[in-house]
Amino acid sequence: MSAKQTKKKPAATTVKHTAKKPAGTAVKEERQVAARLIPIYIMGKRYEVPEGLTIMKAMEYAGYILIRGCGCRGGTCGACGTFYRKPGDYKLQVALACQKTVEPNMYIAQIPFFPANRAMYDFAGLTAAPEEVFKLYPEMFRCVACNSCTKACPQGIEVMDAVSALKQGNIAGAAQLSFDCIQCGLCTSRCFGELAQYHMFQLARRIYAARIVPRAEHLAGMVKAVNEGKYDRSLDELKQAKEDELKKLYQEREVEPMAAGEDWKPKDTRYL
Amino acid sequence: MSLAYYPGCTLKTQARNLEEPAVASMEALGLKLDELPGWNCCGAVYSLADDDLIHQVAPVRNLIRVKKQGKTKLVTLCAFCLNSLKRANLLMKEDAEKRDTLNSFIDEGIDYSGEVEVVHLLEVLRDEVGWETLSQKVKFPLRELKVAPYYGCTLLRPREIAIDNVEDPTILREFLEALGASPVDFPESTRCCGSYQVISSPDSIAEYTRPILSSALSHGAEALVVTCPLCDYNLARGQKELAKKQGGFREMPLFYFTQLLALALGLGPQICHFELNHGKPESLLKEKNLLSQVESLQLIGGKE
Amino acid sequence: MSYLGYPDFFEPYIKKVEQSRPARVEKRKKGEEFVFMSLQERQDMLKYHPDYKEEGRREIRVGPSKGYRIAHEFVDLLEARSRVDPDKVDLSKVDYETDVLVIGGGGAATIAALIAEENGAQVLIATKLRHGDANTMMAEGGIQAATKGEKDSPYYHYLDVLGGGHFKNDPDIVAAFVKQAPDALQWLESLGVMFSKFPDGRLGAMHGGGTCRKRMHYCADLSGMEIMRTVRDEARNRPNMKVLEFSPAVELILNEHGQCAGAVLYNMETEEYSVARAKAVILATGGAGRLHVQGFMTTNHYGATADGIVLGYRAGVPLSFLHTVQYHPTGVVFPEQIEGWLITERFRSEGADVLNVHGEKFVNEREPRDVESARFIKECLDGKGVPTPSGKVGVWLDSPMLDILHGEGRVRTAFVGKWKVYDRLGIDISKAPMLVYPTLHYQNGGLKDNAECETVVPGLYVAGEVTGGLHGENRLMGNSLMDIVVFGRIAGRNAAIFAREKAKEGELTLKHVKAYLKELKEAGIVTDRVAPMLLPDYTTPEVKEKQLTVSYLGTLR
Repeated sequence: MSAKQTKKKPAATTVKHTAKKPAGTAVKEERQVAARLIPIYIMGKRYEVPEGLTIMKAMEYAGYILIRGCGCRGGTCGACGTFYRKPGDYKLQVALACQKTVEPNMYIAQIPFFPANRAMYDFAGLTAAPEEVFKLYPEMFRCVACNSCTKACPQGIEVMDAVSALKQGNIAGAAQLSFDCIQCGLCTSRCFGELAQYHMFQLARRIYAARIVPRAEHLAGMVKAVNEGKYDRSLDELKQAKEDELKKLYQEREVEPMAAGEDWKPKDTRYL
Repeated sequence: MSLAYYPGCTLKTQARNLEEPAVASMEALGLKLDELPGWNCCGAVYSLADDDLIHQVAPVRNLIRVKKQGKTKLVTLCAFCLNSLKRANLLMKEDAEKRDTLNSFIDEGIDYSGEVEVVHLLEVLRDEVGWETLSQKVKFPLRELKVAPYYGCTLLRPREIAIDNVEDPTILREFLEALGASPVDFPESTRCCGSYQVISSPDSIAEYTRPILSSALSHGAEALVVTCPLCDYNLARGQKELAKKQGGFREMPLFYFTQLLALALGLGPQICHFELNHGKPESLLKEKNLLSQVESLQLIGGKE
Repeated sequence: MSYLGYPDFFEPYIKKVEQSRPARVEKRKKGEEFVFMSLQERQDMLKYHPDYKEEGRREIRVGPSKGYRIAHEFVDLLEARSRVDPDKVDLSKVDYETDVLVIGGGGAATIAALIAEENGAQVLIATKLRHGDANTMMAEGGIQAATKGEKDSPYYHYLDVLGGGHFKNDPDIVAAFVKQAPDALQWLESLGVMFSKFPDGRLGAMHGGGTCRKRMHYCADLSGMEIMRTVRDEARNRPNMKVLEFSPAVELILNEHGQCAGAVLYNMETEEYSVARAKAVILATGGAGRLHVQGFMTTNHYGATADGIVLGYRAGVPLSFLHTVQYHPTGVVFPEQIEGWLITERFRSEGADVLNVHGEKFVNEREPRDVESARFIKECLDGKGVPTPSGKVGVWLDSPMLDILHGEGRVRTAFVGKWKVYDRLGIDISKAPMLVYPTLHYQNGGLKDNAECETVVPGLYVAGEVTGGLHGENRLMGNSLMDIVVFGRIAGRNAAIFAREKAKEGELTLKHVKAYLKELKEAGIVTDRVAPMLLPDYTTPEVKEKQLTVSYLGTLR
């Protein structure tokens, strides 16, 4: 570090020319006016944070820089799986730190990573036979249907039922039940049978989509047409066209109505 | 009219030839088998360890789901599932301490103390359909099919959950008679086929199954009817090995009771999935003129 | 007290929405739409767009795009020091050796890595957070491709892309894009991506803003997540692929022949620097939402800090189209817990109206995003925005209409992701409208490349959001997910070929970084800013006051 660095201003806030500060750093100022402070316990240690913040923002307010346990901040990546308890209640609760608002006296612990067994496989060589999934994940049959996985799921997925479907050879069922899975791994962390549910579900979904659901024939037809050069000439025309001409073509192009059904056809078919 | 129905894992994977003829037959008899939504594995083998409560969670949860859906009876086809579910049910009725622990752990929202009745399909046929009615509905009586009824263990033992008299069961004989077949009584019909012991000692299959098979054969059986996929597997394997060891040992076709039911009700061989059977049942049936829809024979050896 | 899950404060405003709803639903059913703006009206409306605020930008004084007027937040990063003193890095000690180094862990990076591996390369992915932590994971709406030949073709896709981009897009890049899009979609299908389909396998498709045909395909409302999960899973099956997580690149390394030959990596957890040598490099570092341009909230993931732009620019890659940044018109403005989050344009595609404080429509919901955002901003500036208790403003997005138009349960099933998020906060969006305002969403431009993903630096390829040229001055919904697939594949293939055929052995160097730092000095730029930023800084001033023995390097301790 150079000796010149007396001011510890981080790069994000050295924006001299705009009126607003970046949204994140304005958190404390807004809250001072509006919200009251409540206590929460981060891995057993007490901090006072403004009511109304998510667990993630509360941890940042308390001074944590999140390296692990923070991803999309939008509830879809599974980085911020968190367990918590409330005093006097033995029930273990689960949440995503970026989604869950803090409550007074929450005892929280993040699980940014949990070791999970994942089978390697050659997808191109897989069929839809359930036996192939059984072979890759034989531990699936250690499931004792205790339902701890379902209780640990922040997405509200019926995890046990999805495992059950897999065991029954119902790959489609497992795929559909597990679609919302963000692969946070909390189910795996609680599983008696030591299953890595989310990896199994991922496999089921891929098999379902590629081997059970019919392929889109219209898509194959279009790929063929493109490869045969059907659209080369019209695209070349567009590439050469000047801006004015493009604007004209754009404005005059027919727009498929919002309410149109699958059988709608345009009047102009020259470029199809 | 419909009955809450529990298939079990094996019927959905290996033993489709036990399930599909059953579902079709019951529909034809006016008693639809309504698969229980949200069922999961029954735990397969009832745990005898006194403290192994976690093993009871699986079957009990299924029973709770039946109760939640407002049903009071659950039918199953798989002998192992019957055994596991019925014994877990008994536990919940009789052992207050374990019942409390399990209810407190399971978290399905309601408590359970054995309100659901678990029955086997044979009991339903006997008690709700009745052998008279059944025989009236038979379109193709299985005339002159000399078939030996084999019970195996789990439908009859332990005594508390048996579906028939343990020493001298008759339910399968009555069933076969209603279908117009000729049941062959033989003394080894309740001897254990070896069950899952054969997984750790595969070489013992032949010896476990020899007494059963040779007794049935010596009493004039042309085929065996079974109720359990594991018995089916063990007997089939056993036959093959005995045939190898002893030249002249005759292999018999093995039928699921539900396949004979479907055949007799005139639902045709397609639904029976004979291609999944061990021991080529079609040739025997053809010989006895029991396969009237000849065109369906295209299925032999291939999958539908 | 609350009304439909919102605080009482909103009750009168929501009631206005409910009052006007029946008539508006009828109009939708009849196919009556609010009139679209003409091209001139669009142009005029854009004056209200943040990009056009002159106080928000300045000219950059160094580098290949010197003189370019772009947002302060970008210039601040480009006119900044290196994280590590180039002289301190021992380039003779190579820690990682590979054929193709992929910098980034999102969709473009992973897809490029897969294709490079399929073309015979050993691949190393170095990513800042976890593999999959990227904007791809959060993309919701869909992925555009002309697939229904009886009513659509790449020709129309091209026109739409141009129209959205104000006709300034790079023609070669767009042509390659629309032509290869169907094949890219088929590739995803073969990998097992669960697209929403009709029972016979036909792909579901809908309109996006600015499209003339319904060609946006989707996987419920989790399209990006489904694609990201699938390609990441496939990457995990490849034995010739290694992934280094929590290891961002902080400088590109060149060799004496001027080729890109690797990168300096930084271990976020142990704070060590290491040298990765490669025969070709792919930069796919995504976007820049966490720069919070003009103080806007953002939809982007935690690591979207324009790292790749800094790295590429220092190595000599010019910028293109970085003067425009895309604000997604519908970011959540209330409740605060989900402030900034993306409400997919698909709500509007399916027929949900946008309304002002009086419960009235004021714009067609399917204008291109920049025009739409500008229009919302204008409506609020005109005093017709819906107020919130914290002083922010927004407009209503009337989601309950979708249950009426498409059948009960539509919102809950087709938009399951968003429904759940709101449900957790006590609001049922099939009964209550959503409150939205533009949010910083996408980097329309970036590093300049061509249709082969090549940059001016041999051996350096770029793909995905970090590039500029495809979307012109404004991206259409559904084209970013297709961007990463088409150009991820092109970059992967070309990088593998370069590694095999054109890469030359040579001495590694960071001379370009030293030259850049010298240029800064000569331009009179003295700063303690450090780039790449790596992570945004959300530590409060109060905490910093008490951190007596900590020193910050940029935003990190």
